Amino acid sequence: MKIDVLFGTETGNAEMLAEDIQSALESEHDVTCRDLADVDPAELDGESFAVIVCSTYGEGELPSSARPFAEKLDAGSYDLSALRFAMFGLGDAEYSKTFTHGSKTLAEKLQAKGAVQVGERVTHDASSGDAPEDVALPWITDIVAQVA
Amino acid sequence: MKAKVAIVGSGPSGCYAAQALLKAAPDLQVDIIDALPVPFGLVRYGVASDHQGTKAVSRQFSRIFERQGAGFFGNVRIGQDISLATLRSAYDAVILAAGLSADRKLGIPGDTLPGVYGSAALTRALHEHPEADALPDLGSAPVIVGNGNVAIDLLRVLAKTADELHGSDLGPGPTAWLAANRFETLTVIGRSPAGKAKFDPVMVRELAKLTNVTIDVAGVHSSEDEEERKRLEALSEIHGHAKGSTRIIFRFGLQLRSVEGTDRVSGLKVASAEGEEIIPASSILTAIGFQSSGDFDREALLSAAEPDASGKLAENLFAAGWFWRGPRGTIPDSRTEAQALATRLLEEISPNPDREGSHIFAGLRDVVDYTGWQKIDSAELAAAAPNRCRQKLAGKNELLRVAGEQETNS
Repeated sequence: MKIDVLFGTETGNAEMLAEDIQSALESEHDVTCRDLADVDPAELDGESFAVIVCSTYGEGELPSSARPFAEKLDAGSYDLSALRFAMFGLGDAEYSKTFTHGSKTLAEKLQAKGAVQVGERVTHDASSGDAPEDVALPWITDIVAQVA
Repeated sequence: MKAKVAIVGSGPSGCYAAQALLKAAPDLQVDIIDALPVPFGLVRYGVASDHQGTKAVSRQFSRIFERQGAGFFGNVRIGQDISLATLRSAYDAVILAAGLSADRKLGIPGDTLPGVYGSAALTRALHEHPEADALPDLGSAPVIVGNGNVAIDLLRVLAKTADELHGSDLGPGPTAWLAANRFETLTVIGRSPAGKAKFDPVMVRELAKLTNVTIDVAGVHSSEDEEERKRLEALSEIHGHAKGSTRIIFRFGLQLRSVEGTDRVSGLKVASAEGEEIIPASSILTAIGFQSSGDFDREALLSAAEPDASGKLAENLFAAGWFWRGPRGTIPDSRTEAQALATRLLEEISPNPDREGSHIFAGLRDVVDYTGWQKIDSAELAAAAPNRCRQKLAGKNELLRVAGEQETNS
């Protein structure tokens, strides 16, 4: 299966997790890993399954590398109904009111253009002491098994 | 042929520079040198002990050494153990990422009286930095001068109860010190109006979670500016929070006149439209910015820099992070800048096989390599109390001892 791992990051933590997901999947699948800053929504034609890792910054805002993508998505008339995606959110539960709102916002924006989310959006709390890959890798293995 | 780059400072700006360089040029030899025996600088000793989520970037930085092949040379002070000139002759390029760790002074009469403490110095003491002074007696009514996130970090930690520090890495000494303090008031003073304060709204809102404070914000005005409005809204929200005995007072738009007191601080004289007044203070904590520690002649280095050349100080000499741009900007800002710096440096670098690289450190005593840091890290994680995520080894000798321990087979 073709898998496009996309990340929206501020500090680089989401990029690191996206690379871990790529490493975990690439023995069995054809996997690319890209920054959302380099992605045009029109490219998301559904040929690849999209796995998105997105953090949150400030008061629940999208991280800087996801912002240009989200702005294009909002401004354009895209039909993403062929796109299936899974969403993983990074956040810090110290800021409970806006915890992982970046990934939530991004999932909603994609769904508003017809994209279909596969599985639940799963999140990791940076203050928890758990490694994000320990949460994300079992999750994505399950999701990919459902989709493949 | 492998080009060699030395980075002075293993805090966020140095680590992001190494990460960006090795991502773009995996064959590069990158060595990161730190004056301390341990890596990560501000992330370990500056970021608040109760902001472990912010410290999570150190997991990325670890990979620079563990997977991207960078070398670590800790306990090596450039300018003292090795001269900058020697370092520059041994590497094809050098990046100064030493940060700005000294406190800016208030610059008003009385600012050298006992009882005036810089927030950088106090933060280092709270975080058991190996070169920190002892934690001072702040008395019952400290006044914090400054309106940035550093002031808020300090305020929040001083106001926290023991329970609120669960999960942090605040050490036993600082924890006992904090518990022994009985602050009646914690006053935060800003020189600019509330809307122009520099702290992030999210940091202000976090104060509303404190369980033993009452918060009183004076001087919230209205504003047309969107950024100002967000900050003012956050301040309005926390105003009136009434959960406990320690009184937090925010005041804005005050000109600082003088530190009052004879042999020790007793107050801070300020002026506003209403005239002059003396705010009683048992101690004054300054959080008004940072300057160079003096390890390098930063002024001279910067004045020789090419104008508009982002980060280039001289031939094969670059600067990153706060050392380059001054004490403004966040950890992610240094990531963005590092990527631009890496591109520029890689365009200019030309490898010279005669350069010695890390051999220049061979004759030095007690150099801590990455394996040494891993031993310290494991020891600190293993020693953590049940309500702490880590217990830092305190003192340089202890750090060096654990870093130098031989592996034992058990």
